Amino acid sequence: MSLSTPILIMLAGALAGAGLFYGLNRRSRTALVMGALGGIAGSLLFMVPLNFCMFETERTTLDIILGLILIVVGVLLVVIPLQWLFGRFVERRIAFTGSQAGTFKGTFTPFLLLAPTIVILALFLYYPSLDTFRLSTLLYRLGAKRSAFVCLDNFTALVDPDYLRSVFITLGLSLAIVVLGLSLGLLIATAAYQPVKGARIYRTLLIWPYAVSPVVAGVVFALLFNPAGGIINYVLKNLFGITIPWLNDPTYAPWAVIIASVWKSLGFNILFYIAGLQNIPKDLTEAAAIDGANAIQRFIRVTFPLLSPITFFLIITNMTYAFFDTVGTVVYMTGGAGPLGSTNTLIFRIYQLGVQNNDLGKAAAQSIVLFLMVIGLTVIQFRTTGERVNYGGA
Amino acid sequence: MLNRKAMALVMALVMVLLMAVPAFAQEPAQIAVWVAFGTARLDWTTQKAAQFNAAFPQYNVVVEGGLTYEGLDQKIKLAAEQGTLPGIVQYNEVSTTLARDSGNFKSIADALGDRTEVNGIPANFDDFVAPVKNYYTLDGKFTSMPWNASSAVMFSNMNMLKAAGIETIPATWAEMEAACETIMGQDGHPTYCFTWPNHGWFFEQWLAQQNASMANNDNGRSARANEVAFNSDAGYATLSWLKSMYDKGYLYYGGKKDGDSWDYVDQSFLPGTEVAMAIYSSSDTAYYTNTGKTNGFDVAASRLPYNQDAAGGWTGNIIGGGSLWLVNGLTQKQEDGALTFLMWLTNTENAAEWHQITGYFPVRQSSIDLLSTDGWYDVLDAAGTSQVWKDDAAVQAGKGTSWFGANPNFIVAAQQVADSQSTPATQGAVMGAFPDIRSIVTAATDTVLLTPDADVKAILDQAVADATKLLQEYETLNAP
Repeated sequence: MSLSTPILIMLAGALAGAGLFYGLNRRSRTALVMGALGGIAGSLLFMVPLNFCMFETERTTLDIILGLILIVVGVLLVVIPLQWLFGRFVERRIAFTGSQAGTFKGTFTPFLLLAPTIVILALFLYYPSLDTFRLSTLLYRLGAKRSAFVCLDNFTALVDPDYLRSVFITLGLSLAIVVLGLSLGLLIATAAYQPVKGARIYRTLLIWPYAVSPVVAGVVFALLFNPAGGIINYVLKNLFGITIPWLNDPTYAPWAVIIASVWKSLGFNILFYIAGLQNIPKDLTEAAAIDGANAIQRFIRVTFPLLSPITFFLIITNMTYAFFDTVGTVVYMTGGAGPLGSTNTLIFRIYQLGVQNNDLGKAAAQSIVLFLMVIGLTVIQFRTTGERVNYGGA
Repeated sequence: MLNRKAMALVMALVMVLLMAVPAFAQEPAQIAVWVAFGTARLDWTTQKAAQFNAAFPQYNVVVEGGLTYEGLDQKIKLAAEQGTLPGIVQYNEVSTTLARDSGNFKSIADALGDRTEVNGIPANFDDFVAPVKNYYTLDGKFTSMPWNASSAVMFSNMNMLKAAGIETIPATWAEMEAACETIMGQDGHPTYCFTWPNHGWFFEQWLAQQNASMANNDNGRSARANEVAFNSDAGYATLSWLKSMYDKGYLYYGGKKDGDSWDYVDQSFLPGTEVAMAIYSSSDTAYYTNTGKTNGFDVAASRLPYNQDAAGGWTGNIIGGGSLWLVNGLTQKQEDGALTFLMWLTNTENAAEWHQITGYFPVRQSSIDLLSTDGWYDVLDAAGTSQVWKDDAAVQAGKGTSWFGANPNFIVAAQQVADSQSTPATQGAVMGAFPDIRSIVTAATDTVLLTPDADVKAILDQAVADATKLLQEYETLNAP
């Protein structure tokens, strides 16, 4: 790789940045210059730490594509905040002087008060997160003599049918957990919300599984699903005469994990749905009843839409739970990847690589990919169903 | 100007210091020992440490345990990073290369130097059973102290076998198939014929029996191994045999549980009604024999069934288990104390005692000889034994007769290892990333068994490709 590649990249970045700025601002040369500088900085943001390694001669097309993506992302990451700042400053939309009610009078007091939290966050959250980026470009094993810089190899190795299979398994498991968890939760919450005797006791008992950790849920259900001594197979055999090899069959093992995870998250869902149901003003349902709506229509047209903020919140939380917290269940129920790798979720791969094998480089790379995936899904979630949520009353 | 008060103060200080000096000289050197075991085995080790501390008051050995091998591995790695390593650690046999490459440990040979005895304990290393000594001799130096050594054996429910008319336990794969056909053919047959824990160690054993190595460069013994070689004919034959047994319904496979599937074998064999034979590690001979007796059936141990079609027949088996490593960088007193403890813990009497309460075979020939006599009880009693040993039912029951005579199950593993020819295959592989490679083998076996119409050759080749990549990464990061 000659000197021309970095220069080309910087030029491309400068052009892109300048173009974006000029187009967005329709201003004079200041905007152009700022855009160009921002573009250069952005294009170098990822390239300099990696030392342009993915453009070296022996690299594959995949490396180059990833490199180009990183350049584009870098430019966007620098130019967009710059544009926001530029706009604010030039159009003076925020006043940086003057006090308003509720603000601190001194300049340093807020920072002093924030300092303890920021220190802890920086040490335990921000620094390890940044270190993850560094680790993902290395071949690094805890206890080894040295580490080796491997550029983006940990990422390109993920473009592989086995990893894609894990992605599908994870998405499938999450979909099932979210849909089943929410529908069952809503059903039980509605039932528990009826004014029957002892309803309070039922509600408390229904919420209990939430206090249990996913690992405990995994262990309990592993016992229940045990082919030799488990209750579930015993009941199935005596009632229906069938035996399902829950933990040994690649078709059934994911369902065993889903059932255990849904059971654990039911408590959480029921809790929030009951709170949501309590917040629905009774006069709306009464008005609907007077207008001739039966129970089902009242539920679908009045109750469910009013529960949409709760549903939206629960979808996000359950999705996070399904993506990340189920690792404990998977480890203790199916012993990890499960029969023929059928429960090899993305988070389990990271756990196996990072915690069991201490292969921190690959685990860091997969963590970053999983993180981007979940952020992407959350953004999609906000954009699509977020629009249809009605907050507050009618 | 020194007045009276000052003089008195100085005198008092000098007195205190003088009194403290003998205390400093006598303070025992602290030696921490990290082992993986829990329950009775940890109790034995702790009691033995107490016995050692009483005999050698200048040392204080403290034992910590209660983890799995993997958990202990993690603990050691973190301690190495933080510089808080103890005096002695236990590693299982697959971590031998990692321990050697880490530079955190000193070989026994180096620690001993030219001495022939330490603190009165003779360094009689030739007394160790040859395969055991050879496994832990790296680059020509005796590196770690063998402690718990096992081999792969098969436990048979003799009640079930005799009910099917089988008097001799099958020794080869063909005999296993024939026996299973007989057992499963009768009315009221058990649910399965035999079972085994899907752990990569057994695959290595079967390969060793067919004189096939796991890695290149003579299994890593003549030079550093950088390629794996288990997709040989022997590997193919092993997985094909297991697959055919599984497809015929003879083999009970509970699942791989990431290599920790020993529980499935315990649960299926020990009740005595589901499975007739269990391939297992000799390390639990005591547990299996005694539990069988409690549950009303006779358990007989035999050698691991081998491939009768292999060129050269049965070559030999490898050892398993673990060894104790001496940490580098201790003070001279601590090092001598740790070395003394290592040599004392594996002396003739203690090795015999350890064998009796576990089933790990005696690592010393003199221990085997002692236990073959009738008077072993008094010899061990005189040397000082642990409470665990005193409470062991089999030990008390066998007083006054040859131990191996009364408990034939216990000699099987030792004889199997002693009869083995010494080839690179049976000496065991020395290669990096061994624990990860074992996981790959376990996963490949799982895939072969659970996929109907599995292409064994393709699965093995893929496993070898994955394993070689890991091995080469290990070499990049750890080769000197």
